[in-house]
Order: sequence, then C-alpha cells, then structure tokens
Amino acid sequence: MSAASKTEPKKRVALVLAQFETAADVIHAAAKVRDAGYNCWDTHTPFPIHGMDKAMGLPDSRVGWLVLGGALTGLTAGFAMMWWMNGVDYPTVVGGKPPFTTPSMVPVLFELTVLFSSFAAVFGMFGLNKLPRHHHPIFESDRFRSATDDKFFISIEAEDPKFNADKVRSLFEGANAKHVEVLEEEVEA
Amino acid sequence: MSADKSTDASNDYRIKPGSGWSGAWKKAAAVGVFGFALAGFGFTQDAKRFAFSYLFAFFFFLSLALGALFFVVVQHLTKAGWSVTVRRTAEFFMAGLPAFAVLIIPLIALMAQLFPWLAPHAAAGHGASTHAEIALIREAHAADLHAPQAADSHAPRKAGPSVVARVAARDPEAALEAAKAHEHAKLIEGKKSYLNKPFFLARNAFYIVVWAALAYWFFKNSTDQDRTKSRQATVNAQTWSPLALALFALTLTFASVDWLMSLNPTWFSTIFGVQVFAGSVVSALAVLILVTMSLRDTTLKGAINVEHYHDIGKLLFGFNCFWAYISFSQFFLIWYANIPEELAYFHMRWSENGGTWQGVTAALPILHFAIPFWLLLSRNVKRNAAGLVLGSVLLLVVQVLEMYWNILPNFGPFAPHWLDLACFLGVGGAYLAVVFHRMENFPLVPVGDPRLARALHFENA
Repeated sequence: MSAASKTEPKKRVALVLAQFETAADVIHAAAKVRDAGYNCWDTHTPFPIHGMDKAMGLPDSRVGWLVLGGALTGLTAGFAMMWWMNGVDYPTVVGGKPPFTTPSMVPVLFELTVLFSSFAAVFGMFGLNKLPRHHHPIFESDRFRSATDDKFFISIEAEDPKFNADKVRSLFEGANAKHVEVLEEEVEA
Repeated sequence: MSADKSTDASNDYRIKPGSGWSGAWKKAAAVGVFGFALAGFGFTQDAKRFAFSYLFAFFFFLSLALGALFFVVVQHLTKAGWSVTVRRTAEFFMAGLPAFAVLIIPLIALMAQLFPWLAPHAAAGHGASTHAEIALIREAHAADLHAPQAADSHAPRKAGPSVVARVAARDPEAALEAAKAHEHAKLIEGKKSYLNKPFFLARNAFYIVVWAALAYWFFKNSTDQDRTKSRQATVNAQTWSPLALALFALTLTFASVDWLMSLNPTWFSTIFGVQVFAGSVVSALAVLILVTMSLRDTTLKGAINVEHYHDIGKLLFGFNCFWAYISFSQFFLIWYANIPEELAYFHMRWSENGGTWQGVTAALPILHFAIPFWLLLSRNVKRNAAGLVLGSVLLLVVQVLEMYWNILPNFGPFAPHWLDLACFLGVGGAYLAVVFHRMENFPLVPVGDPRLARALHFENA
C-alpha cells in the first residue's frame, strides 16, 4: 500500500496460519485467540463446528438486518409502483375490481418483499464476507488445501492492530498447533 | 460429546409429587365435570346453541391433539435428533386423542341441530319440490315485476293446480325465497351421495379409529422404549411415520370438511382442510412451548434449553405464516372470483348476521398474523422466554377465536354465550385430564431414545 514505485517486487508478512489436528483443538485455540484480543482473524474447518461462534466470540450476524432492510424496500417499492400505476397514472378496471385495491396488491407485495429480501441476503452475505475476491495470501500455503478435507486452521492477519508474528506463533504453539507458518504477500508497485 | 451422563442420572424427568403439576389431571377432570354439568344444564335450555358451542370446543381441542400428532410423526419422518427431548410433551397431547371417541358422542346425537343437509326437505321451503312448480313460481314472480298492475291478465297461470304458485303470484318476495330455497335444496340433493347420515357416521368412525390407533401406537412405542432402550423402536416409528402422516392428512382434511364446512353445505373451498391443518399445528406448537416452559426449571431441567425453544419458535413462526398464506389465498380467490356460492363464507361473516362478525373478521388478520409476525420475527425474541411465551399465548388465544369464528356464524350473530365457555371447560377439562394423567405416569423425556444425548447437547449452528 505504502510502497513507492520500484521495479523489484517487495514482500511483507500477510498472516500467520496454524494447523490443528482435531475439532476440539481448534475450538480451544479459537477461544485463546479470542481471549488474546485479536480482531482480524478466522478459522477454516472442513465442516461447521457447533460452538465455534461462541469460541470465536462472534457477534450475531448482521445479515438479518440487511434482509429486513431489503424486505421493507421491496414492500415499499411494490406499493409505490402499484399506487402510481394503478392508482394515479393509468387506473384500469380489471375483473370488476377497483383499480387500486388492497387484496390484489398482496401477492405482488409478497413477491417483491421476498425478492428484495433474497437479494439482500445473498449480496449482503457477499459484502460482509468481502466477496468476490480474486486472491488471498492464505492460498500460498500448500497445507491449507486440507482445510476442505481433514485439517483445521486458524489464521491471524497482519493488519490486526495487535499483530506481532512472534507472539502469534507462540500463542498458536501454546494452543497445541501441529504446524505454524508465516505467509507473505507481494507488495505491488 | 455424549460421554457425560452424570446429569442424566440425577434426573428421571418425572413430575415430582408435591409440585404444581402433580395431581393436575384431577384438577382438569374437576374443571371438565363442572363444565359438563353447566353445559348439560345449558343443553336443556337451548339444544341448538349447545350443539354449536360444543362443536367449537370439541374441534378446537381435537385440532390441538391432531397438531401434536403431526409434530410427533414429523419428528420421526425427518429422523430429527434435536427434538427428542420435546417430543414426549407432544406425545402426551397426542395421547389424549382416544378421548375424542367419547367426546364426539354429544355431537353425533345432536347432528340434526348442526347440519342443514340432514333435515329432510327443510331447505326445500314452502313445499316447492318439483321443477314444474319452481318454474311457475319464477314466472309468476317475473310477471309481477314487469307488470304489477296487470296481474289479472295472468289469471290462467294462477289457476294452475299448485297452491304454491298461486301464493307466489300474490307474494313475489316469498316466491323468490322459495326459488332460492329450491336451488339450495337441489344443490344439497346433488351432494347426498357424500353428505348422508350413514356415510357420515362411517367416516367419523374411521377417523376416530385411525386417530386413536396412531396415538396409541406411537405413544406405546415411545414409552415402551423408556424401559427397553431398544433402537428398533426408533426404527419402527420412522418406518411407519410416512403412512401415519398420509392418514393424518386425509383424516384431518375430511373431518374438517365434515364438521366445519358442511355446516354450510352449499359452500365449498378446496383449501379449507389445509387452513384447519395450519391452525392445528400452530395451536400444538404454542401449547408445546407453554407446557415445557412451565416445567423447564423442575422436571425438564437441563433437558430443554434455549436452542430447543429457538427451533420450536421458528416452527411456530413458520406455521403461523403458513396459516396466513393459506387463509389469505382462500380469501383472495373468493374475493377475486366473486361468485355467490363461494362468497357465502365471507358474506356470513361480514354482512349477514347483522354485521356482528365484522369485528372478529377484521381482527383475525391483525391478531393472527400482523402482530405475531413482527413479534416472533426476531431471533432474540425466539430465544427469550418471555417473548416466546407472549407469542405463544397470543397465538393460542387467537386460534380459539378463529375456531369460534369458523363455527358460530353458522348459528347466528356474534353474541358470546355462557354455553361456549361451559363447553370449552367441559371438553378441555376432559381432554386435558387424560393428557395430564399420562404426564404424571411417564417420564417427560423419552429416556430410552438412542438420540437423547444428542438432543441434550443440541445447538443451533
């Protein structure tokens, strides 16, 4: 980020990755990382582990609020659309019903509420997960491939204000980590 | 994860003598006896009102028991592990089903008070019973409308053999009524192959036998497992649950057509059974929450935690939305098509009966959907005991109101009667006495279920 323009690629520490052998180990280690006060870190496991949210000290997901916002937007947009089209701009009697009437609006309101909620849920999830993203230095590790198979990982990123590679390493080693590695990323000109 | 059994051993999940629930069945039975005594007196005063009030009470508690049966069967069908600790409470409410074999007797005895299709020719009105006669009445009526002062010129028509036709010519209002009544009678005549007493009784015998058999079998299978700890019992329950669910769906649908829809035999709605089903599951889930909540610090301590309540809360919320979806669908199609024979249902609950049902009709979408929707939407409310109890109480009360609103407009204007309460206490007391008696004699958690440990440590991901 702060790098001046140079021809030679410069590297810097991106994160520290620790590998654990069991779900129990990783959950205990996560609790230790949480208690050490880190913010920019994550766990990577082949399957969801019950109790991990608590061990990581994660707050409730904010997706719910985004969905609520999406729902209310869809409801309001649908109502405004029908009010303008059927009620003001071009009132048409269909099936002997008043042009702008509640019951016939309900299915449209319902569908638009669901549609906007789904958009909010999917794109909100992408946004909160900082996706899509082309690359992450964690994939520099060959060991990390088994995160989708039978190994458990915790990574602490260098951008964490408390980050100190040596302290992180000793924290992991004290938490029964099988293997700890420091991963670097290129600082581009 | 399931290694720690020390907490299980210290709790046998039975109701302790001296606790509030001990002897509850006797209190329920006393309420039932009191209710029946009062209702019996009411019957001597107004047999017709008694019949409608009793049907309301009967069907509410029946739908509650059937909702509990549904919950139990679905847990087996989906091989659910999380719900093992709450399943037994639903099983108790399901186990009260055989009581309805006895509770149905007054309704069978008073069928003639309830169903217009039972009264022979009652709907035919004014004695008009042949097509020729009805044609005459209509003709006379039309003539009268077009040339009221020239009635004399139609003397030859009035001189026909039918007294009815002559009366009709003098009184066109009555003639129109007679014509309507005749059409009505014709419609009912067309439904005679289904709506007749022997077939009705046979169908109800079938429902009662199916419900009692399902309740008995699933209850016995589960309580026997408490002793035997047999894994085979769980497998058996899972094997039979699809058939049980199919039988449940058919019997509940046909029973609601028979007992509720046929109160107004010319009206029909193909979604009606689904609506009753949605309501029955809402009542059952609300009761499940309230009963387990009242036991969570005593008998069920450690067995049911916030994770279970969160899940039952989600089901309650979901099924209530389902109820709203189905109810609105029924209303929407009827409103859109605007056909008199379909509209009759809402006409009876809005304009007819002096408009007295309008308040209840307007309150239902608000109390049964809008308020509980916003109340139970939040995860935090579903995980909060007070919030969940509030939602459950509201939905249970409103479910009673909906059943009342479904049945009583067929009797007349909205005018709550002490017989409604008496019958509610009588039927409810009797049914709950059976349920509470079961509760006192069995552990409140299926202690023999192989997935018990998993359910005890259940967590929402």
